[in-house]
Amino acid sequence: MKFLLSILMASVFFCVSKAQKKAVVIEKKMATVPGGNYKPFFVTKNNKPIYVAAFKMDESAVTNSEFLEFVKANPQWHRSKVNHLFADTNYLRHWKSDLEIGNPKIYNSPVVNVSWFAAEAYAKWKNKRLPTIAEWELAANGAPKNFKYKSITDFILDWYTKPNPPFVPNVKSTYQNQYGLYDMNGLIWEWTFNFNSFIASKDSRDNSEADFKNFCAGGAINVVDKTDYATYLRFGYRASLKGSYCISSLGFRCVKDLK
Amino acid sequence: MLHISKKASYLKSGLLPVVLFISFSLFFFSCKTNSGNETTESKIDTTLTGTVTAELTVAPNVPKPLTYTSPKKVIVQLETIEKVMPISDSTEYTFWTFGGHVPGNFIRVRQGDLVDFTLKNAPESKMTHSIDLHAVIGPGGGADATSTAPGQSTHFQFRAMHAGLYVYHCATGPVPLHIANGMYGLILVEPQGGLPKVDHEYYLMQGDFYTKGKYDAPGLQDFDETKALAEDPDYVLFNGRVRSTTGPNALQAKVGETVRLFVGNGGPNLVSSFHPIGQIFTKVYVDGSTDLINHNVQTTLIPSGGAAIVEMKMQVPEVINLVDHSIFRAFNKGAIAQIKVTGPENPSLYQKLK
Repeated sequence: MKFLLSILMASVFFCVSKAQKKAVVIEKKMATVPGGNYKPFFVTKNNKPIYVAAFKMDESAVTNSEFLEFVKANPQWHRSKVNHLFADTNYLRHWKSDLEIGNPKIYNSPVVNVSWFAAEAYAKWKNKRLPTIAEWELAANGAPKNFKYKSITDFILDWYTKPNPPFVPNVKSTYQNQYGLYDMNGLIWEWTFNFNSFIASKDSRDNSEADFKNFCAGGAINVVDKTDYATYLRFGYRASLKGSYCISSLGFRCVKDLK
Repeated sequence: MLHISKKASYLKSGLLPVVLFISFSLFFFSCKTNSGNETTESKIDTTLTGTVTAELTVAPNVPKPLTYTSPKKVIVQLETIEKVMPISDSTEYTFWTFGGHVPGNFIRVRQGDLVDFTLKNAPESKMTHSIDLHAVIGPGGGADATSTAPGQSTHFQFRAMHAGLYVYHCATGPVPLHIANGMYGLILVEPQGGLPKVDHEYYLMQGDFYTKGKYDAPGLQDFDETKALAEDPDYVLFNGRVRSTTGPNALQAKVGETVRLFVGNGGPNLVSSFHPIGQIFTKVYVDGSTDLINHNVQTTLIPSGGAAIVEMKMQVPEVINLVDHSIFRAFNKGAIAQIKVTGPENPSLYQKLK
């Protein structure tokens, strides 16, 4: 019996290690997002439309396999070694161990349960950076290709109103937009560099108009489009985040300035 | 009027000073009574005498009346959970909930208690959630302190100073969507002396729902923003489901018993004309206030984001249909709950004649 069990375990191990090897990481393609005006969702005196210069963005979210390469090269980001000031106890909790993803079905799914600090560190390691809210929103505004939904808002609300699946589907499994970017909505939430900066400063003396709150009807006072519930949810979500949070539906992608 | 016409004779008889004194002291006394009512909170002893964990119940159940008689620190922990559940026999809906049910868990505390509140958001949640308790005096009713990302928790304290029945709801943007998905419940702040004893206490909460498909359309139905903005619901429900509280699930009572209902309205849009078919509310704690009691009421208004406590004495065996008397909602959209009353007939009160 023991013998059978060890054979079984050995074969399982063999299969897993084989599958691990198969997950070859190729350099991620980046798409160019042309420059344009970004109109902030929450309008205040200091929050005016801004011009965003053209930039390059990862065509899809960073995957578990890609993130594993980073973790291998940076032991301080091993799950067992990470400083919990920079990533809470949920950090990579869906992985099997420090250097094993486990479930082969998620090798090519977006990495989740990663903190803002971890995402930042990954981006730096790749000589890239995290997108600003303005860049991310501008990129996500790109018109979808081959879309069966009535509108992008409709599609996003549809995603929002379904509970999370047991594991995150692969990247490029939703839609591509006009810039060539995949899954800007409908797969995961994504970190941005300044994720909670739209919240007004606690000191209301510096700008009394900015002292609004994103709860109750207060959240509707200065909003560009009050019927844009999808964007509302995104900003509400970002506002509740802290840099150390690791969440099972929150990942990221990187950007780079155009040379 | 009588007072004025007699004034002349008082003057003649030299009784004026006495009359003046009496009316002055009456005036003073009534003033004192009024100001006494306005400042009941200053009379509340706020010295804490221990810690208890609040009993939380799922509708239609209500936590047992509180037995302690001095303020306590009360631990309340609620979890926000996003969950697919049936909204009718053939339709499912993705509800966002406090505690995994619509309405959320019933919370019962006592006037003067210090409520120590933790809001958890389930790790599987997609959304950020928060809580605004109408019983709280403070920024956002607690919402300012409880914006909670999936897998996280937040913590705040408030003193329950004002007795009454209050609605709580999620207050994360867009608030109407969170409420439309079922994120509301009730918190009762019992007055210091408690409420009079009754035979049964039950919890009902009305809410309106907006789906892509029509009423009872099969399968999982998504939220419909256009219908919600037009305030044109497909469902108007008690306790979050068609037939949640009818037939085999009806509330139970016997002839001779008194039933107390804690009724809230989560909205998000509609105001309820709450009415018991075949009964009369012998007592209505108007707007959920324990200070304002009305008697013998046929229909009581329960605004969106408001509540009422109603009581009825069961007189004859019958099925009492509790409805929103904006009656299309009861007939076509699901707004019916029932109390099944069993026991002996009482022909002197009611009998059907041939």
